[in-house]
Amino acid sequence: MSRWRWLSCGYAALVAAGIGYFLWDVPVQVSDSYGNLVTASQGTLGSLVSSEFHQRAYLRPFLWGLIRVVLDLSRGHYFEWFRGWHIAQIGVLIVLFLRLVRPSTWSGAAAVPIGLAALIGMHTFAGTVQEAFPINTFMTVLICAFAAADLALGPHALWRDVAAAAIFVFAALTVESGLLIGVVFIAAYLVGARGVSRVGIGLQLSLIAAYFVLRFAILHVGSPGLEERPSGFGLSSLSPNELVARFGSNPLPFYAYNVVSSWLTVFLSEPRGGTWGFTRSLLRGEPSPAALVNVMASLLGSFVLGLYAWRRRSDWRARRFDRADQLVLIFIVVAAANGVLSYGYTKDVILSPAGAFFAVALAVASQHFLESIGTMPSRRAAAAIVMVAVLSTTWSFRAIGAHLGLRGSAAALRGEWAFVDLWLERKSQVPTDPFALALKRRLEDDAVRRHPLRPMLAGRWMQWFSE
Amino acid sequence: MNAVSRSTASAIAMAAPVAVGTLMIVTFSSLELLGHTPFAVGPFRNIAEAAGMGAASEVLRLLGNGEDPNRVLPIRGEIISSSVRQATALEAAIWSRRRELVELLDRRGAIVDAPTRQHLACLAGDLEALDIVEFLSPGRSQACVHGHALDVVLERTRTLEPTR
Repeated sequence: MSRWRWLSCGYAALVAAGIGYFLWDVPVQVSDSYGNLVTASQGTLGSLVSSEFHQRAYLRPFLWGLIRVVLDLSRGHYFEWFRGWHIAQIGVLIVLFLRLVRPSTWSGAAAVPIGLAALIGMHTFAGTVQEAFPINTFMTVLICAFAAADLALGPHALWRDVAAAAIFVFAALTVESGLLIGVVFIAAYLVGARGVSRVGIGLQLSLIAAYFVLRFAILHVGSPGLEERPSGFGLSSLSPNELVARFGSNPLPFYAYNVVSSWLTVFLSEPRGGTWGFTRSLLRGEPSPAALVNVMASLLGSFVLGLYAWRRRSDWRARRFDRADQLVLIFIVVAAANGVLSYGYTKDVILSPAGAFFAVALAVASQHFLESIGTMPSRRAAAAIVMVAVLSTTWSFRAIGAHLGLRGSAAALRGEWAFVDLWLERKSQVPTDPFALALKRRLEDDAVRRHPLRPMLAGRWMQWFSE
Repeated sequence: MNAVSRSTASAIAMAAPVAVGTLMIVTFSSLELLGHTPFAVGPFRNIAEAAGMGAASEVLRLLGNGEDPNRVLPIRGEIISSSVRQATALEAAIWSRRRELVELLDRRGAIVDAPTRQHLACLAGDLEALDIVEFLSPGRSQACVHGHALDVVLERTRTLEPTR
């Protein structure tokens, strides 16, 4: 391994340690986790998974299977196992990121920090770490997506076809975003990656078709309707009733809005969940400094990506793709597909696969940009260096903001545990089952006493990092 | 600038700001592990400070450790206000307008008698925390002298200050 790769690995280890430390502070949450754990504990693993094939609106049997496996392995040490699992996932994701970017030169190593900052600092990433159910399915899909790209970009072997099919089935039956794994394989094949063969791609297409047949024709799971939840639209948010009143007879404009919003948020960090919050605050003359930093970082990052695409356009037209081209083009296809998949409901975390590939693409495009600065005329080079410094600084702010977001989330989740009895009473879900009672006591004890609240960060400086 | 110095400068411009950010995170984490948390309020010195900041989980933990939510305790000026530096946890929770925290403490038996409840309801009324008034005194059944409860709490801090 070259010294640049060693340096990059060392740096990535520091990043993983930092985010791991902040993640270790986040307790298992009450909402979305406590109830799920109680549900996952019932019956056998087989009966749990098979029952999930007959739900309405969602088809996520392997999510439940995974929760059950970790629950059984934990033997009562829920916090340690579920949080440990989450941290291990972050570690695997960062390793896969390095495998994709493959820094082997000075420019590659210099671009790794910005790529990792984009991976962690991107707004679409927050939902993969700030909450869990208690296993974060979106993080699982990110790992599968990076693993898929890594498989596809390697040399061909039969086992890669088999592994590709296995990863797709696992991801697609974990959460709907898992369908993007098939998109990664197909996109990689279209840009010349042959790690997965033509037969393997045929298998992927068959599996995607089989998923839709299973979901809609056999199991009649369907998909969530407009009445499921509120959704951002324009400068504000619409309630389910407002959505039905406005788009009930013809939801196509709403779907189109969601798709376009999803694409834009990956490149601009605006709108968020369909709401143009930064624009609204700008119109009022009171933009949040952190939101301003976010939009600037994304704009500059997208500019570097656009510049890369412009410079490589003649090779792309001639269908000559090197590894960096392949990664950038996979990102573009995944972003497009991720947006389409968000037609019914757009939310930051749903776009986490597109956000993660944005980070990969930004790393390789930044490397290319750095290499080009050496050949620029002096004035242009000076301007480019200033731009690079601003790009790096803004992404640095976003990465720090992601850590602060975790700290804030940890405090909020502890607050939830303090009020757990009130919360359960209001939802008429007071546990009576001995396992549910013991689980509640243990998780509350973990959140309040065994891993108590850390000192709360405060100060005006935080407005530059947290929205 | 020649090509080499340009390349060096651009590599530093790209890597350094993010790397500094990462080092700050790692340094912060290390300091915290050693018991120092820079840029932080806290750790809370007692249950009243935790209540003043609305840190319900800390209130619960300190309650479990045997701290008395009815005991008047010193509170740093930055927690609630420089004019409120002596309060009970219940008063601090009201001052920070945390209705659910007041309810939580009540459920844990912290409001020990009717005079305490009346004092708290009156304090909530003086602070115009109407949801807390409604919780402590449904239908505003408690009779309060306007401003008296507030004055009781403020007076504690005033007596701490040196005479000019």
